[in-house]
Amino acid sequence: MNRRKRVRRMMILTMLLAMSIVFHMLEPSLPLPIPGVKLGLANILGLIALYMFGWREMLSINFGRVLIASLLRGIIFGTGFWLSLSGVALSSLTVIILKKFTPLSAVGLSVASATFHNIGQILAIIVIWSSIMMVYWLPVMIWMSIPTGILTGTLAVAVLKRISKGGSP
Amino acid sequence: MNKADKTFIAIVAVLSVLLYGSLQYVVRATTSNQKIAVVSYRDKEVLRIDMSRDDKYVVQGTLGEVFIEVEDNRIRVEKETSPLHICSIQGWIEYANVPITCLPNHIVIVIINAVNENGEDTTVK
Repeated sequence: MNRRKRVRRMMILTMLLAMSIVFHMLEPSLPLPIPGVKLGLANILGLIALYMFGWREMLSINFGRVLIASLLRGIIFGTGFWLSLSGVALSSLTVIILKKFTPLSAVGLSVASATFHNIGQILAIIVIWSSIMMVYWLPVMIWMSIPTGILTGTLAVAVLKRISKGGSP
Repeated sequence: MNKADKTFIAIVAVLSVLLYGSLQYVVRATTSNQKIAVVSYRDKEVLRIDMSRDDKYVVQGTLGEVFIEVEDNRIRVEKETSPLHICSIQGWIEYANVPITCLPNHIVIVIINAVNENGEDTTVK
């Protein structure tokens, strides 16, 4: 990879990371009919990084987003940070495995990402609160991850189509 | 969306419904008539509430006071200070082992049965 391409790649990744941090920080203030449910808009940027570059870049976007957003919000190493981190870790791992071994499209991967993000968060809550009872919320969260995953996956596909038309890498 | 996506989504939907049904069955089957609500702050029990008495309670959470109300063998967080007010929006719970979790306030409320494993009544402080 020549220098020009490297710089271009780095700039795109930086922009994806910046946008994912903005989405991550703004999302809790979006009014949704069900309390506690988030759309997961920041996952769109991770999916775009996965399809444009590869799984390493997706991991750097996802983990970078959690770390920097937590630092900016002043919740680093707090409960919210560990919930986000565990959710991102499990969802990213799932997406990498499913992309490699299944024919799922970006929409299916997005649903899987949302589902396993919720599972990761519930597992973290169970560990933090030392209580298995938190599993009670898992079915509701998994159920909600279907529409939110379809929405974010569809948005990611639309963005990727536009990027490919524009001649990006 | 391709066929694999649809199959995956259907599997996730069916599993979540099955899990929901199983958990509902378990919590209903394991709830007795005599109940106690256990209120914990940062994993430490701070209050035990007899669910047979209608009353209001206040416990200190991380972001402020958490107001708890008991009525007709049900319990809810009436009001609290938090960004999204998820635990007060959650409303009434009446079954054992269904938690009310006020994450920003580090408060968890869980109903337990008033009879312990040895068949003895649990003492309410």
